Amino acid sequence: MCSIAGILFKNGKRSNLGLTTGEALTEMMDACRHRGPDSAGWALYKEPREGKLRLRFFVSRGAGQSEDVARIREGLMANGAAIVEEEAVGCTYGAVVEHEGDIQKFSYAMERVGKLVSVGSSLDLIKDVGQPYGLQKVYGIAQFNGSHAIGHTRLATETGVHPETAHPFWATGFADVATVHNGQITNYWIMRRRLERRGMEFRTENDTELIAVYLAYKMSQGVLLEDALRSSLDDLDGTFSYLVATKDSIGYAKDKLAAKPMVKYEDEDLIALASEEVALNRLFPGRALDTTEPAPLTCGLWSLGKKTEGAL
Amino acid sequence: MVTIDLAQTTVRKVNEILRGFGATHQNAEIVNPDAKHYIGVGLVTPTKVIIRGSAGYYCGGLCDGPHFKVDKNVSWGVGDNLLAGSIEVGGNAGAIAGVGMRGGDIVVRGNVGSRAGQVMKKGTLCCAGNANFMAGYMIYGGRVIILGNSGERVGEDMMGGEIYVGGKVESLGNDAMLVEPSSTDLDSVMEFLDRYDIAFQGSFKKIVCAGKTLRYGTAEPRLRKIPFTTFSSGGAEDYWNAKVQEDIRVKAHIGRYRIRGYGTSRHLPHFQDIAFKADLTGAGMDPDVVSRVNLRTFLGEKHGGRSLDLSMPVMIAPMSYGALSKQMKLALGIASRMSGISENSGEGGMLSEERAEARQMIAQCLAGRLGWNVHDVKRADCIEIYISQGAKPGLGGQLMAEKLTREIAAVRGIPAGMDLRSPSRHPDILGGDDLIMKVEELREATGWRVPISIKLGAGRIRDDIKIALKDGIDFVELDGMQGGTGAAGSEVAEFVGIPTIAGLQEAIDGLAEIDCQGQLPIVLMGGVKDGVDAAKAIALGATAVACGSSMLIAAGCIACMQCSVGSCVIGAATQDPEHTARFDVEKRALQVHQYLEAIRWQLASIAHAHGYSDIRQLSRNDLVALTPEAAALTRLPYDESLAGKVRGRI
Repeated sequence: MCSIAGILFKNGKRSNLGLTTGEALTEMMDACRHRGPDSAGWALYKEPREGKLRLRFFVSRGAGQSEDVARIREGLMANGAAIVEEEAVGCTYGAVVEHEGDIQKFSYAMERVGKLVSVGSSLDLIKDVGQPYGLQKVYGIAQFNGSHAIGHTRLATETGVHPETAHPFWATGFADVATVHNGQITNYWIMRRRLERRGMEFRTENDTELIAVYLAYKMSQGVLLEDALRSSLDDLDGTFSYLVATKDSIGYAKDKLAAKPMVKYEDEDLIALASEEVALNRLFPGRALDTTEPAPLTCGLWSLGKKTEGAL
Repeated sequence: MVTIDLAQTTVRKVNEILRGFGATHQNAEIVNPDAKHYIGVGLVTPTKVIIRGSAGYYCGGLCDGPHFKVDKNVSWGVGDNLLAGSIEVGGNAGAIAGVGMRGGDIVVRGNVGSRAGQVMKKGTLCCAGNANFMAGYMIYGGRVIILGNSGERVGEDMMGGEIYVGGKVESLGNDAMLVEPSSTDLDSVMEFLDRYDIAFQGSFKKIVCAGKTLRYGTAEPRLRKIPFTTFSSGGAEDYWNAKVQEDIRVKAHIGRYRIRGYGTSRHLPHFQDIAFKADLTGAGMDPDVVSRVNLRTFLGEKHGGRSLDLSMPVMIAPMSYGALSKQMKLALGIASRMSGISENSGEGGMLSEERAEARQMIAQCLAGRLGWNVHDVKRADCIEIYISQGAKPGLGGQLMAEKLTREIAAVRGIPAGMDLRSPSRHPDILGGDDLIMKVEELREATGWRVPISIKLGAGRIRDDIKIALKDGIDFVELDGMQGGTGAAGSEVAEFVGIPTIAGLQEAIDGLAEIDCQGQLPIVLMGGVKDGVDAAKAIALGATAVACGSSMLIAAGCIACMQCSVGSCVIGAATQDPEHTARFDVEKRALQVHQYLEAIRWQLASIAHAHGYSDIRQLSRNDLVALTPEAAALTRLPYDESLAGKVRGRI
């Protein structure tokens, strides 16, 4: 029960919107904040750095924070990751580390020392309780001016209001894959057990995490993302409009009942998707936009450096 | 023509200005609309409004008479419940364009999203491009014209009306069929297209209701020998009892579920399993007891609306004109006024005579939008969004053909003579996020003047109450499993839902889980039969209660459970003039009023006997559970020795 938003500058060229990518996405999220007043989150795709990984963890606010950070730092070093950069902001701790080796193993190991939010060469996932404008200031989202990002505002219906249950969700164990979702996956437990039998792990009972892990697992088996999106239309039951992002693309899928809205705007430079047109109009105030509502039971994918329309 | 810049102001302000313009016959142009929601909602004047750009959700919703032109796109629900006037959209429309419209014209020059025209009743919805799936879903009447392709399942479950498709009919929905359009049909369609300068070369296919599922198959045999008071199960003696046998025989005859009125007839933990700890002997001996306890209750001021002002924490539960006769509704309206409480329209529109009689009237908004219209919204004292009902959570209402007379059908805006199965799901409330938007639309339509409440059947109430709180609802009407109904499948009435006291506890716990205890008033209903039940509900944490079945019984109902059949002998739940003639409105109104006054006396007596001067001083500390089951549901203390002592008391 929420709103979703995503933006990708196709040529890597930044906008002439007069906004940074972070500001643009935050504007879109703010326009739909009525759909989700509880929490907000961003999956930002930053410049990848050779041989380095970005990690973000949840840590306690206030008193317990330094303890949590110390434990995570220790854990990183114990797992052979040298810290290059770090910051503690809001309820999170972010680090850039030098690391070689299996990311899934590394992240499962790191989850034993702290609440891991995301891992990727490019992905930095920030989410917290609150609303987009307020959190943007706390987390310096406006400084982000990368090629693409997805975001979410949440109205909690079945799980509590905590940073942990905010979206986006990282595909636990898989670098750089994140999803945001509006709707409800009704065959959650069937799909989760199926993935667990294949060794996947889950950190929450949120259905959005399932989508992320599902797609990432498929990709790890050599399936192309576009094929994974397409098969999700058959495999996932319920109502959903979701967005997925990887280090160089954004995709969407929409279920056959189309009960959850999604509108897209595309021109030569950018593709923007959001729950409502009012969000797209925030990027282009005063303009009547040529938008389309993706049809039910369809998916799409847009990648950096590719100019072509991405509906599959 | 005055220009309003929406970049400089809010939609709420713009709508106020537009209402003012209507009064002075001025027209308006809106620039920088930037797809904002609720533009022009609730206009009832023939104002012309030009929107220079795109509009968001519910553009021109709940209107009667205005003319809108939108240069570009509109989002979901354009022209929601339009009564008259026109809306022209230059670009595309989102889902449920023209939802529940009851007149006027909506023209979309681009494509329309899914479920175009859902539950529409009258007027014309025209799409010059392609439609998405289920165009004309559950339409009761009116005309849908699609110049491009129909999309899949066009005309799904349509019950009336006509759909014309100029392009390809991708697939037909359930109970829809293709017929040859007559020359009169085509002339009328072409005349419409000319009026809006839409060129079309080609031929039309016409789709209408096939009528195969409008009525149930074999009718249920009429039975009246085993009434409500014989419970259907509960003890060993009930195995293969007379009621079980009857049920088997009827189903062997009709081959489907049975329909009946009233709520569950099984034993469930209820208020009789809870008692007051204190010895209330002598309660109510004071002849002035009613004046010694403050019972007055205000409900619904949370978001700035004018609250309901109830002389005691009691309401009359929603029951429709249709399920009940006009006479019965009038009696309820009169009684509510005499007792200083509120009456509720129920499904199927507000009866004007009853509106005039009742001092405080709640308008109920249901999924089928039967009888729903902006004028009733404006003359209501409170809006209630019906999500579900305790007797049949998750299911829609049923009104058998015998009761769907011409007059009732006209009020509801639908064809007469079918077994009406109201949709269970709102076209525009598919989740908590959409609900926020519906609430906002209704706030705009009423100028933020009245409270907006939500009726929830007790099911997944622990989660639902949190959504209600976040979605800006003023108060919740919570309906438990013992709640009555005019017609429901008997299995559903018996076995679906959770008991009233459990529902209340879940709701209170849900609010406590998010540290919002007491922030959302709860009106409890579902088998609240008298002031003693009401006092217990209030002590448990309800703000007020609502009574339905007890009001009917006070008016003479014999609880035969045959409300759906349409031949109610006392003339309360029937539309048959022979039966309703027997119903003496004034006498019955007085009976209902007197019973309400008895409830008042009970409430005051119980509070007074506790030494309280305000009914709200009652708390759970005053209660004790008499059974382990009731204790488990409410977490009230259960002490066998204490239970033995107070058992037999109230």
